[in-house]
Amino acid sequence: MRKHSNDRLQGTLDMLVLKALASQGRMHGYAITLRIEQISASVLRLEEGSLYPALHRMTQSGWLRAEWGASENNRRARYYSITPSGRKQLAEEEQNWAQLTEAVTRVLRFV
Amino acid sequence: MSWWNRVWNLLRREDLGRELDEELQFHIDARVRDNLKAGMTEETAQRDARRRFGNRTLAKEKTQEMNIIVAIQTVGQDLRYALRSLRKSPGFTALAVLAMALGIGANTAVFTVVNGVLLRPLPLVQPERLFLISYHPRLGPGVIAGRPGLSNHDYLEFQRRTRAFERVTAFVQDQVTMTGAGDAVRLPAARVTSSFFPALGVSPAMGRTFAAPEEERGSPRVVVLSEGLWRSRFAADPNILGNSITVDGIKRRVIGVMPAGFAFPGEAQLWLPLAVGPDASRNSFFPSAFGRLWPSVTQRQAQAELEALAPQLPWQHLMAAAGAPARTGWVVEVLPLQDLFVGQIRKSLLIFMGAVAFVLLIASANVANLLLMKGSLRRQEMAVRTALGAARSRLIRQLLTESAMLSLGGAVAGLLLAILGVRALLALAPAGIIPRIAEINLDARVIGFALGLGAVTGILFGLLPAVQATGRELRTFLGQAGHAVTGRGEGLRCVLVVSEIALTLVLLTGAGLLLKSFLRLRAVDPGFRAENVLTMTVDLPDSLYNTTVSIQAFHARTLEKLSNLPGVLAAGAVNFLPFNGVMWGFFHLYDGRPTPSGYMVDKPAVSSEYFRVMGIPLLSGRAFSDQDNSTAPRVAIISQSVARTFWPGGDALGQRITLEDHPKSGNEDWLTIVGVVDNVRQRSLTEKVHPAIYQPYAQVKKPLFLSSMTFAIRTAAQPASMATAMRGVLREVDRNQPAQSITTMTDLVAKTTAEPQFQTRLIAIFSMLALLLAAIGVYGVLACAVAERTREIGIRMALGAEKSDITRMILRSSLLLVTVGVALGVVGALAVTRVLARFLFEVKPTDLPTFLVVAALLVAVALLAGLLPARRATRVDPMVALRWD
Repeated sequence: MRKHSNDRLQGTLDMLVLKALASQGRMHGYAITLRIEQISASVLRLEEGSLYPALHRMTQSGWLRAEWGASENNRRARYYSITPSGRKQLAEEEQNWAQLTEAVTRVLRFV
Repeated sequence: MSWWNRVWNLLRREDLGRELDEELQFHIDARVRDNLKAGMTEETAQRDARRRFGNRTLAKEKTQEMNIIVAIQTVGQDLRYALRSLRKSPGFTALAVLAMALGIGANTAVFTVVNGVLLRPLPLVQPERLFLISYHPRLGPGVIAGRPGLSNHDYLEFQRRTRAFERVTAFVQDQVTMTGAGDAVRLPAARVTSSFFPALGVSPAMGRTFAAPEEERGSPRVVVLSEGLWRSRFAADPNILGNSITVDGIKRRVIGVMPAGFAFPGEAQLWLPLAVGPDASRNSFFPSAFGRLWPSVTQRQAQAELEALAPQLPWQHLMAAAGAPARTGWVVEVLPLQDLFVGQIRKSLLIFMGAVAFVLLIASANVANLLLMKGSLRRQEMAVRTALGAARSRLIRQLLTESAMLSLGGAVAGLLLAILGVRALLALAPAGIIPRIAEINLDARVIGFALGLGAVTGILFGLLPAVQATGRELRTFLGQAGHAVTGRGEGLRCVLVVSEIALTLVLLTGAGLLLKSFLRLRAVDPGFRAENVLTMTVDLPDSLYNTTVSIQAFHARTLEKLSNLPGVLAAGAVNFLPFNGVMWGFFHLYDGRPTPSGYMVDKPAVSSEYFRVMGIPLLSGRAFSDQDNSTAPRVAIISQSVARTFWPGGDALGQRITLEDHPKSGNEDWLTIVGVVDNVRQRSLTEKVHPAIYQPYAQVKKPLFLSSMTFAIRTAAQPASMATAMRGVLREVDRNQPAQSITTMTDLVAKTTAEPQFQTRLIAIFSMLALLLAAIGVYGVLACAVAERTREIGIRMALGAEKSDITRMILRSSLLLVTVGVALGVVGALAVTRVLARFLFEVKPTDLPTFLVVAALLVAVALLAGLLPARRATRVDPMVALRWD
């Protein structure tokens, strides 16, 4: 499986997507965008189009499952949900993140 | 998603692109809708949505790229993983690849032959329009039985009247002796009419082919050479045309050389002109005939035409007029030209295909078993990986990749084995059994076949173990901290081994039946002693030898010179040599008793020494002598079968009979029986003994029965070494008469047993292969069971079990496996061996002794295979076993 540890930004996006899906269940791409906007209080602004390569990559890696369904206003939309290995990945990412921020905090405290 | 799914996705990129477009469009539309709800104008809402989304094309491209990259990565990962895993257990890998290589190799070898013989079209121009024309009595005289063909009269008539065929032609396959260009050499040849090459659509590379007048007797003698012969014997001499070569003692002018690769029919190396006329000698009496259909005509239409013309064809009427009994059942057939060569061998090849398919199934079961065993050893690994979140589908995919690589390796190794296998197969085949040998070689279809087999078997034997190894009970397995458990895996392995044994039994039974049949065939007494007998057949042309006197004079001179040759113990002659032809008909008894309807006898005309030469025992009375000449009272010798039928009291000697259909009342047509000889098989070893009435050839009056005569000599030394001397005698008597054929009697007999011998050998080899694989299978399952039950065995021994108890326990499981397998196999064999019925001689497909012997053999082999694991089990040290884990 692909390593993203030295690609923080991508790792962060992955984590945000996984986190959103882990808490909210099944969502389409647009709903994921709205959710990320919401939890990051619009601090993390990203080009919405760049979400899709990430969604597809994570699907291929088996972290997400994708399926077509009907949207709120009855249009065909692609829905994503998190898989067990996605949850595992999320836990790993969260731990990495925690270690990283802890390390940064420690460094900041002693400098 | 499995990786082949991904690969598939790559192939249908267009669809995926459309789906992706839809997904992205949905996002933009949803944003626009929210913007409108928030109170933006249509235009601002659109612009805001596009700005937020960014470069849509880029997003799409990046997404698609992502799919491809991940796909490639996963495939690579699976392959790497599989390779690493296979490298970790080289013994297992080697065994599995070897089993697959044997299975696939055997199949590919047989397929290579099938491909060359049956599947590949003949190397001719539009061979699909070439058809054999065949019209003969269903149970014809031995000379023509079993071969598509047509009498000379019917050929000429049909050629005149057909509308379906663009061209009709006739040929006779032959063997000739070429002298004068290096050592004398015997070559496959063909005598063909002038329309032969035009009908095939081939032109010579040099010179020309035959012109119509060259068919006629007495025309300048010519010959057409194959490119191979021209190259090997005449050093590709560019000035060969117009030179003379000697064929069967006759000088012939070379008029043409055919293009490279042309060797039709059979492996013909040279072609001689053939005259088909109403007065033809035996040579062209019943040629093979074929024609090229007009492009718009179908085989069915041609068949209909032949059927419509058949009642008007003259031969049947001529035969009836000549007093021959009207026979019911004439065969009217238009057949693909290929059938001339493959008719006999097709069924055999299909049976070989079936047999090797069994071998492959057994090999697959073996590899599946190996994978199951490996799977059970890897359960710990699988359990851990599952616990860590690996999806089951991913694990299955990985295991399947592994088995796919195994079978692919097996396919490549099998292909190499097949190349050797084909050579071995052709070496095993008696000469002349397999037609079109030159076309049996590796081509794209064969390679595709091998790889296809690899792919199919890879999935076939990989899926079950993969599903098994990643089964749901893995979590419980982990809970047992790696204790050996026996679970469904063992049951499944037993099922596989039982099927292996059952399949092997079917194959072995087939081999057993064929072997028994072949031994029976070999044990048949032909009624003569074939050893040390050399025969030479001479057909005298009726243009030069048209009276009985001239023919008999020729025979007498030849016989005298032959018997004076040094090394010749006796020389005789017969007009229809056993295994080489027959003439049969009715006869009447003098005392007015009717002969049973349909009772026919062979009517050989023989010289006085014939019975001595052939070693046919005289049972009573006397043999013919030189006093039984044309002026002496007419005599006959009957076979024992005739004597038993009509004179069961043993009083045949002195009785009178006639062979004429309408005997005159005087003594002229009546023969006195002077002797009784043993029965002789006239046609083949498989036929029933046929009654025969022999006459001295000097008392036979019709030239028709004398013009073809076979001389036979009993030699002191190797009979084949006398061939040159025999030919020399013929040249001394009449230098213009070539021998039709010179063959030892043993070769003639062997020819009739060649095919069953080949079948028996091949099926025996395949079933031995199956037996070996099954033995490995039984061994594997028991060895694995012993390994898994080490703890249990240890406990048993600690509790006082004897070594013999343990041995018995293991052997009992082995016996159970083999019993169930044999039971199933017997049922299968009963269903399958029926296809062998037409190949079996005096053995029923349900022959009980064969079944018993085969079952006993399998049980013995299975017990033997179980012995090794059983001995290992008795060596388990209870202390070590109990301390495991």
